[in-house]
Amino acid sequence: MRRLLRWWRGLYESPVLLTAFAVVLGLVVGMFVIIFTTTPVLDAWRSVLNSWGGPGHALKTTLDHVGAAYRAMFNGAIIDPSTLWHSLNTGQGWTQTLTPLSETLTYATPLTIASIGVGITFQTGLFNIGANGQAIIGGIIGVAIGSSLHLPTIILMPLTLLAGIAGGIITGAIPGLLKAFTGAHEVIVTLMFNYVANLSLIFALLSTPLQQPGQGNDISRTLRPGALLSPLFGTTSGLRVNWGLFIAAAIVVLAWWFLERSSLGFEFRVSGANPHAARVSGINPRKVTIYAFLISGGLAGLAGITQVAGTTHYIDGGFLVGSAGIGFTAITVSLLGRNRPIGIMWGALLFAALGVGGRAMQATTGIPLDLATIIQYAIVLFIATPVLVEEIFRMRARSAGGLQLASQGWNT
Amino acid sequence: MHKGDKACVSRRLGTWIGTASLVLGTMTVGLGATALSASASGQFKACVVTDTGGINDKSFNQSAYNGLLDAAKVDTSIVPSYLSSTSSADYAPNIQSFISQGCGIIVTVGFLMQNDTQAAATANPNQKFAIVDSNVTGSNVLSLNYMTNQGAFLGGYLAAASSKHGVVATYGGINITPVTIYMNGFVAGVRYYNKMNHKHVKVLGWTPAKGTCTLAKCDGKGTFVNSFTDQTAGKTITAADFAAKADVVFPVAGSVGLGSIAAAKQAGKGHSVLWVDSNGCLTDAADCKWLIGTVAKGVEPSVRDAVLAAAKGTFQGGTYLGTLKNQGTALEYGGIMVPASLKKAIAKITVGVSTGKISVNPNNYPAK
Repeated sequence: MRRLLRWWRGLYESPVLLTAFAVVLGLVVGMFVIIFTTTPVLDAWRSVLNSWGGPGHALKTTLDHVGAAYRAMFNGAIIDPSTLWHSLNTGQGWTQTLTPLSETLTYATPLTIASIGVGITFQTGLFNIGANGQAIIGGIIGVAIGSSLHLPTIILMPLTLLAGIAGGIITGAIPGLLKAFTGAHEVIVTLMFNYVANLSLIFALLSTPLQQPGQGNDISRTLRPGALLSPLFGTTSGLRVNWGLFIAAAIVVLAWWFLERSSLGFEFRVSGANPHAARVSGINPRKVTIYAFLISGGLAGLAGITQVAGTTHYIDGGFLVGSAGIGFTAITVSLLGRNRPIGIMWGALLFAALGVGGRAMQATTGIPLDLATIIQYAIVLFIATPVLVEEIFRMRARSAGGLQLASQGWNT
Repeated sequence: MHKGDKACVSRRLGTWIGTASLVLGTMTVGLGATALSASASGQFKACVVTDTGGINDKSFNQSAYNGLLDAAKVDTSIVPSYLSSTSSADYAPNIQSFISQGCGIIVTVGFLMQNDTQAAATANPNQKFAIVDSNVTGSNVLSLNYMTNQGAFLGGYLAAASSKHGVVATYGGINITPVTIYMNGFVAGVRYYNKMNHKHVKVLGWTPAKGTCTLAKCDGKGTFVNSFTDQTAGKTITAADFAAKADVVFPVAGSVGLGSIAAAKQAGKGHSVLWVDSNGCLTDAADCKWLIGTVAKGVEPSVRDAVLAAAKGTFQGGTYLGTLKNQGTALEYGGIMVPASLKKAIAKITVGVSTGKISVNPNNYPAK
């Protein structure tokens, strides 16, 4: 009993409960959006006073629609109980049963890697807003290597990934060096590098070495079979979850070890927590800044090439552009995971599940995918305002172990 | 109200929202009925997978979806449905999701979906597909392509004939064939006008390379904004064109063209825009008075026909090539008055291009 109580208190003090409540609130916000945008539901409420059965009918219509939407989301992102039951009984249709889970993991893979990269700079008290550009350049260089060289898989695969990492490191190094030696603000420089990366992408895709032969469009050559992160269950399985999953898992462990156990990681965290104390205790701020950006850029580049090698196998003009920009999503996921590798992993899984589930919801109920995006960002908003969540759920004032703001601010 | 009251009210409100959300949350998960699955018999599901532009992009995604809606108006058994993609990684699962839903026909949009459509079409030989702006092989796929240089040829003629200063301009979104083929036809139209009327109207923004322009390859040098969404860039380029004495501008860059309209408004009367893809006076009626016309691409009617054929059971795979002759491309007039004599001349040229008597290759009309 006492152990249970301690467990409960631990849960209560930890950010897990707060996050769970934020997710619930996000779903509530989504519910209201569904109510206000679905015509049958609105009609039911409009005629609520026309008959005695009006209120009941309106409530039922609302619950039907909201329930169908969220059920479609769950079934499409994690598992559909009815197909699972069917598969368990007959031993058939496992591909269909496992597809939702496989898709969620596929989307979470590059997102986890990129978010950890962003989280590491946040922990160091720096902002890397340019992860998307770094991932794009990583993708370009990775595809350039992985689509052109004739090498056995055992060499080509790591070489392609390393090329992606190198692309990210180069793009990340420039803002890092500028910050360390000239004091140029990393937010501005990394942000602007996203534009450089976008235009480099178009340039690269329209230049002879990278453009798909015989194409007048902005589409690259396809990666050689040896450079692909192949599906875990084989190409014929129909499940897209691929070996990139293990890369992401390894990055989570490595990043955890690095931040919590290594001395450089310690220097990072001290610099993030208190730059003045760090300097006084002999930590070289220049070194920390440069290393943070090298690591962050390298991870973003790895995320870019993992995305290509694991799913599309080529890049095109829409690669990580606009709403597909995992480097931007990474900033929110990092915030969601409180900049810690394990937290980020869960955050990335949640975001991926909402995205994948949102697609399934759109396909089965016709409610636009944008609803999933609204829920995603509503959750982030609630995470960012813990006081509001505590107030709504009447949690008693907790010790300040909750959210530490990502970084020192703009003028340090 | 003093502080205590406020806290009390907000706490009470908080409790209410908190409880309500928990209760409703549980109920929705528990009670949600399956009443919404809409695959009743006698219905024909027509499905479109859009690329990252989505169904409101004022360009080919929207046109393709409108084609579905048009078909549904004609044949009420057709139920249109769409899935938008947020990245290229979504194409394959989106197509797959429609296949498992039993769509009668799946329309995919754009060359970027070529690989995934091809793979799905080969793996599901009984599933009907139509793809816009691309070439996929298989007897179950209809590939829809458009010779928009024919429509743009007429647009070039109209622009050249309407220019007071003798300078017209064009620019593109990205240097890719679906864009440059428009620009190429536009330049050809202007040069044809010069040849027939002994004029010297200049074109800014596109210099065609030697050879013929095809759907697979259409090279040359030109002005590009490197975006299909950056309206500010469109405005800047157009303002520069106006400063170089141009008075008709032909943007081939989706919604970037709205920047050109803004520039025309700023420059005032006598400056106009030739719109692209789908009739600007319908999609953007408020700005119709700045449009001299639209070089239209017949995505909407061709998708509609493909869907109707599939619903009727007369669908045939293969390729459809949109031309002036089959209205797969056309010149539509805008809000600016065009003299009847010019309209007559253009109608004549339309016939000439349709029958192949007038070439739309700019290299056949050497620039003077």
